Amino acid sequence: MRRRTRRFTLELMITTTALTKSYQDVPVVRDVSLRCEPGTITGFLGANGAGKSTTLKMIVGLARPDRGTATIDGRPFVELPNPTRVVGMLLDASAMHPGRSGRSTLTIAARMAGVHPRRVDHLLDLVGLTDAADKRVGAYSLGMRQRLGIAQALIGEPLALILDEPANGLDPEGIAWMRTLLRDFADHGGTVLLSSHLLHEVQATVDHLVVISGGAVVAAGRLDDLLASTTILVRSPDPVALSAALRAARIDYVAGPGDAFTVDVADGWVTTEVLAGVARDHHVLLTELRQSETNGLEQLFFSLTNAPAREVAA
Amino acid sequence: MSASLSTRTLGVDTTRSAAGPIPFSRLVGVEWTKATDTRAARWLLAIVALSTVGMMLAPILAPKRFDQTYTGYLEVASIPQVLFLPVVAILMLTGEWSHRSVITTFTQEPRRIRVVTAKVAAALMLGTGAAVFGGVVTAAGLGVATASGRTIEGSLSVGDITGYLLYLLLNVLGGVAVGALVHSSATAIAAYFSLNIAVALLGTASTLIADWIDTATTWTWVLDNDWGGHAPQVAVSTLVWVVIPLVAGVVRTQRRDIG
Repeated sequence: MRRRTRRFTLELMITTTALTKSYQDVPVVRDVSLRCEPGTITGFLGANGAGKSTTLKMIVGLARPDRGTATIDGRPFVELPNPTRVVGMLLDASAMHPGRSGRSTLTIAARMAGVHPRRVDHLLDLVGLTDAADKRVGAYSLGMRQRLGIAQALIGEPLALILDEPANGLDPEGIAWMRTLLRDFADHGGTVLLSSHLLHEVQATVDHLVVISGGAVVAAGRLDDLLASTTILVRSPDPVALSAALRAARIDYVAGPGDAFTVDVADGWVTTEVLAGVARDHHVLLTELRQSETNGLEQLFFSLTNAPAREVAA
Repeated sequence: MSASLSTRTLGVDTTRSAAGPIPFSRLVGVEWTKATDTRAARWLLAIVALSTVGMMLAPILAPKRFDQTYTGYLEVASIPQVLFLPVVAILMLTGEWSHRSVITTFTQEPRRIRVVTAKVAAALMLGTGAAVFGGVVTAAGLGVATASGRTIEGSLSVGDITGYLLYLLLNVLGGVAVGALVHSSATAIAAYFSLNIAVALLGTASTLIADWIDTATTWTWVLDNDWGGHAPQVAVSTLVWVVIPLVAGVVRTQRRDIG
């Protein structure tokens, strides 16, 4: 049972409108618009250098956009009286003083946020750093710093989280742990925006996806919708008859994998139902008919990011 | 590590009222902690303290070479302090840029001028603490010298003591201003000392520079509580070394993209 007690007058927690920024006349972010709702995890996916970090930094006031606006909970980040009470951030886990212990680092963040110091111990326990709490951060592994960064992001009891590559340095167990944590956070009404270049990590974690390439958004929507719009795999013991049926129905396909065919459904009208109907009409026996699942997001990711990336580099 | 979380632990409390702004006193307190809670910071402060104590041995052990006066002893205490305190002050302003923890600090308080102001306040608190410590060390030095049967001339007026305090604080501000403008620790420290040396050298060629720009001259008048006709010179040199770089530093800090 989800607890959605948020006031309904303001459904969007994190928004950006046409954020644009250049560094030395090189466009880094172009017209990026995002909308993140409470209760959801939005993945911000792109190759390294696609503009993810710059976009996140503009949202939290660390970088100034040339054009466009960003709001958290209805106002610009820099106008939030005590921002970490509204949005917790992990932008760079290595940007911590190496000479301070994990506990001291969190204690300072707790004082700034104005929360009870006891929350420091809660969070150290939550991220599994209780035993290492009094070691210097300089002696932490990247994964431990990432955990400390998560704890720091949560210190102000925020409504939203903005995390830049949070899975970096985490082992598979740690990634699974974070997935559970973020899902719980969202299920309790929290809003999560996380960036990644790790496709499988995003695929398993997020509800919504925004794909960025060359500084511009090239795809955005619900994960299920984006995945569903890729390809359908169809297989028959009689491939020749199947290919004839598909041609007759004017359905584009490519051969493979194996003796199956892959049908592109990007234009929307071809569904598994349509294909089943075509097979029936042409008396072709089907032994397999399903959405292609093998690396669905990976195919999407590469098909969406490759061409525009070249365009920008040119 | 627990994967099951209570609502309270996660803290997505969607009904609570918005938190108020961070009080300035809290910002100053946090900056004070950051300036004093690491091993590196404590070593640096220990060096300031030890060098003050060590320097105080000089007028005791070499009475011929130092004025055996109350103000003379106080000036001795200030020598290592104005060498090291500006470095402490520079690092208080630059440290977070070097460790890139400004990313955290400026997202906790995006009104960056408040953070810089809090750092300046913490640096002035540290300078005041150093002045108190210097006073105690001076008193101890005078006590030892008197106990050994030496006659110490003169006395310490309120003006002498405030002059000493102001002198330390001005030197702290000189470091603060360079640190606020030049965000790299190494560059700021190098710039601070090389510019001071350069102005001192130019001062040997031009009395105008020596009397109006070189703080080794003008701020020493403050230390000596010798304000007769020197107020404009103190003001001009302070404008050049403190006010202008500090204002420029605040502007730069406000505008800088943090990546």
